[in-house]
Amino acid sequence: MNRKPDVQQGTLALMVLKTLDVLGPLHGWGIARRIEQISGDLLAVNQGTLYPLLLKLEHEGSIASDWGASQNNRRARFYRLTRNGRKRLQDETHEWNQTAAIIERFFEIKAEDFA
Amino acid sequence: MKFLRRLLRRIYNSMDRRRHDERLEAEIEEHIALETEQNLRAGLLPAEARRRAMLKFGPAEAIKESYHAERRMLFIETLLQDLRYAFRMLAKSPGFSIVAVLTLALGIGANAAIFSVVNAVLLEPLPYSNPGRLVNLADARPTTAITGAGISWPVFMELRDHSRVFSTMAGLAGHALTLTGQGEPADVSTIAVTPDFFTVFGRQPLLGRALLPEDGVRDAAPVVVLSENLWRSRFGANPQIAGSAITLDQRAYTVIGVMPAGFHTPFFNKTDQVWIPLVQDPLFGKWQTRPPQAHWMPVIARLQPSVSQQEARSELLTISAALARRFPEENGWLLGIEPLKNVLVGDVRSPLLLLLCAVGLVLLIACANIANLLLARATTRAKEIGIRIALGANNRRIARQLLTEGAILGLLGGAAGIALAWFSVSILAPFLPPELRQLHPIRVDGFVFSFALALSLAAGLVSGLAPVLYAARSSPQANLREGRGAGEARGSQRARNSLAVTEVALAVVLLVGAGLLMRSFSRLLSVDPGFETQNMVKADVSLPRFQYSTPQQWSAFANELMTRLQARPGLQDSAIAAPLPILDTAVVLPFAIAGNPPLPQGASDTADYVAASPQYFHVMGISVIRGRLFNLDDTLASPPVAVISETLARRYFPHQDPLGRQLVFGFPPQNNISRQIVGVVADMHDVSLAADPGPMMYVPFAQAPFWGGEVVVKSSLGVAAVADAIRTETRSIDKNLPITEIETLPGALHESVAGARFRTLLLEVFGGIALSLAAIGIYGVISFSVSRRSREIGVRMALGATHSSVQRLVIWESTKLLFVGLAIGIPAALALMHFLSALLFGVAPTDPLTFAAVALLLTFVTLAAAYLPARRAMLVDPIVALRCE
Repeated sequence: MNRKPDVQQGTLALMVLKTLDVLGPLHGWGIARRIEQISGDLLAVNQGTLYPLLLKLEHEGSIASDWGASQNNRRARFYRLTRNGRKRLQDETHEWNQTAAIIERFFEIKAEDFA
Repeated sequence: MKFLRRLLRRIYNSMDRRRHDERLEAEIEEHIALETEQNLRAGLLPAEARRRAMLKFGPAEAIKESYHAERRMLFIETLLQDLRYAFRMLAKSPGFSIVAVLTLALGIGANAAIFSVVNAVLLEPLPYSNPGRLVNLADARPTTAITGAGISWPVFMELRDHSRVFSTMAGLAGHALTLTGQGEPADVSTIAVTPDFFTVFGRQPLLGRALLPEDGVRDAAPVVVLSENLWRSRFGANPQIAGSAITLDQRAYTVIGVMPAGFHTPFFNKTDQVWIPLVQDPLFGKWQTRPPQAHWMPVIARLQPSVSQQEARSELLTISAALARRFPEENGWLLGIEPLKNVLVGDVRSPLLLLLCAVGLVLLIACANIANLLLARATTRAKEIGIRIALGANNRRIARQLLTEGAILGLLGGAAGIALAWFSVSILAPFLPPELRQLHPIRVDGFVFSFALALSLAAGLVSGLAPVLYAARSSPQANLREGRGAGEARGSQRARNSLAVTEVALAVVLLVGAGLLMRSFSRLLSVDPGFETQNMVKADVSLPRFQYSTPQQWSAFANELMTRLQARPGLQDSAIAAPLPILDTAVVLPFAIAGNPPLPQGASDTADYVAASPQYFHVMGISVIRGRLFNLDDTLASPPVAVISETLARRYFPHQDPLGRQLVFGFPPQNNISRQIVGVVADMHDVSLAADPGPMMYVPFAQAPFWGGEVVVKSSLGVAAVADAIRTETRSIDKNLPITEIETLPGALHESVAGARFRTLLLEVFGGIALSLAAIGIYGVISFSVSRRSREIGVRMALGATHSSVQRLVIWESTKLLFVGLAIGIPAALALMHFLSALLFGVAPTDPLTFAAVALLLTFVTLAAAYLPARRAMLVDPIVALRCE
């Protein structure tokens, strides 16, 4: 079984939300591609794991989806950020920044700081 | 909120599963198409482009699975799926399933049946209102080890009117009175009570009224309260019964009410009862004038709501001290209370808990057996489980599947077991010893049902745990590679071996317990009671005390009956006595030896009192050791005489000749009659077969008659003829006399050990079940191991092993299990059996013979269980075994 650690799952959700926020409605492949471009190999394998996550976000009301036409004119499911999702993105961005700042400070600590 | 929202979506989603599957399919297809296009643009060939797209997408099935997981009410759906799968697996191997379900059914059934008794007797509150506040008030004299004696009338009145710790209290005394005028004369169990009796228990009558204080006044009109049973059986459930009169002991009582069938008087087991005011009782009514030294009346009281038992006890000690000052002869007597429930069930608690432990062991063995079967099956299913893991099932999912199978087995076994328990309880309940039947009906009710259900679920899960522990450790690759037939993980074999060892050890404990009880019971039955039982019949004759009110009348009746019976051919050996040893409650009376210095204040010697007609010793086969027996010249007019037993002579006349000495004793109120000792007779078991013979003193029936007695007849004519003769002769004297409890003496003695018989029988059954389960367990382990090792055996035989050496190999394997099992079980049994010692008679808890017999029995059974597999191993064809790989 291929289990990603929770932190990665959470990160992935945040990436999905941010991608949709910046780029507007996208289909699954589009989201996967953007994330791949930005994050490197996080989604290099197992792009498919994105779909259960999209469904989860949809159930939680952060995103919504509709059928639309893809660039090659086939039926594709397009995901967009909801108002709820935008708020969540803001909250989580804030939290993330906070966490990152703490961790950063922590990494900068040298032994003499405690002297 | 997020959670709730997801949950609602999931519920909605579970309703249209198909649409969502299609959606995911479409999305995957589109995703791969887009990725492929991009790869094509990058210059790859179409086939390679698509292959890479799919690789990058990842395992579609696993993704679908986790997509479903997100989408649905996973728990319930998985459960349903697991259930479906479990049922399919069980149906696929019906032999295994039937054996497992039956094994569990036996275990659960036995537990539910015993628990239904425990529940009715020990757990359910007494069927009275607020029963926790009811206490039994009793007198005790620690200096002479007398406990549980009754309360005298003056003390009762004192406590009732002045004690602050009890809200109400009532005295009761019971015996049988003769109901006439309603068909056949019948003895009815009559409880003479003080008027507060029904108030103490807080029960309202079904009809009419209960007793009022004015009913207890000396000159009040005689009234009676009927039990519902009697009202239905004798009075046709007549709703207008109140106000009509019935005849008890030839005296009219006005019916005032009917008590519901659920109301039983504590200490009295008969369901056909009547209650009358104590003052109206032909016998006990007069006892109200007896002095404080007569500790005769059982008293039940209700504690004040705010008073603890401890407070009540210390108050009673104060009262005892005050009483001792007022009545010096009462010095040394202490009033005490005991919760009523303890008094009623105290004697049966430990035998019942013993039985409960025994069935618990049976269930453990059953569980070990099923765990073993499941383990063996999990091993053969290793490949299947490997495939499921390879297809994406995780360990938790597999564990859940295996546990579900265990739980299903448990519940199926539980259902069968509950049915078994219900069936056996409804058949066996009437045969239970009376002390287990007195309070609540014994049945499989809702509580017992839930207990059995919980137990079966637990049993199933525990059994299912073994394969889970094993399956969790195995690696799917190894399982797939090896499939079945090859060597398996050592852990599994070891687990199965230790389960078999556990079964043997548990069976040892159970069998030793059963064996000890069996030995002790047969010792009990082989005790010589000290009197004749062959061809002996007894019958109870009781005289109505209003019509037959004087000792002269009682004596005349007994003489008349004896003369008539002895005149009949074949009935020469007839006698009358009261009470009979073992079968009747012993009448223990204090006595004094004339000429001996008086005993210290409050102390007295006691012995069993028996009034017997001259023929009694001859009929009962009691041999005379010294002096003479009674004869027809010993009458009320002649000087009082007595015969004593050997024990009394030895204990109280050491190195003296008791003959000619005067013994002062008597049945109250004639308790100070000086009687000359004219003979000494052999001892007999007076109280029970288990208790040693106590001192006894006999008086001629004619000099100290009772209002009836036990007719004993030694005759080869058979019970029916003897019973008929006794009935005919009694009726020819007075057609209104009831004859009851006609029994053969062996039968009656049999009855007296009903409790011991009951628990011995049950423990034998449980031991038998344990033994067969252990045998099945060992058979299963060995036979499975043989089939797993057939290749190894083939190799051995190809290398020159002989048939018998292969057979020895297999037998040795099972013998090892047996030895380890015995090595654990025997010390465990030694440690545990001392809990049993109170129930044993004439056998030590460490009885070596029993232990040896159990070890031998288990050895025999183990070898028998290993024989078939060993034979199969012997017949392994090396060529087939080696080729089948």
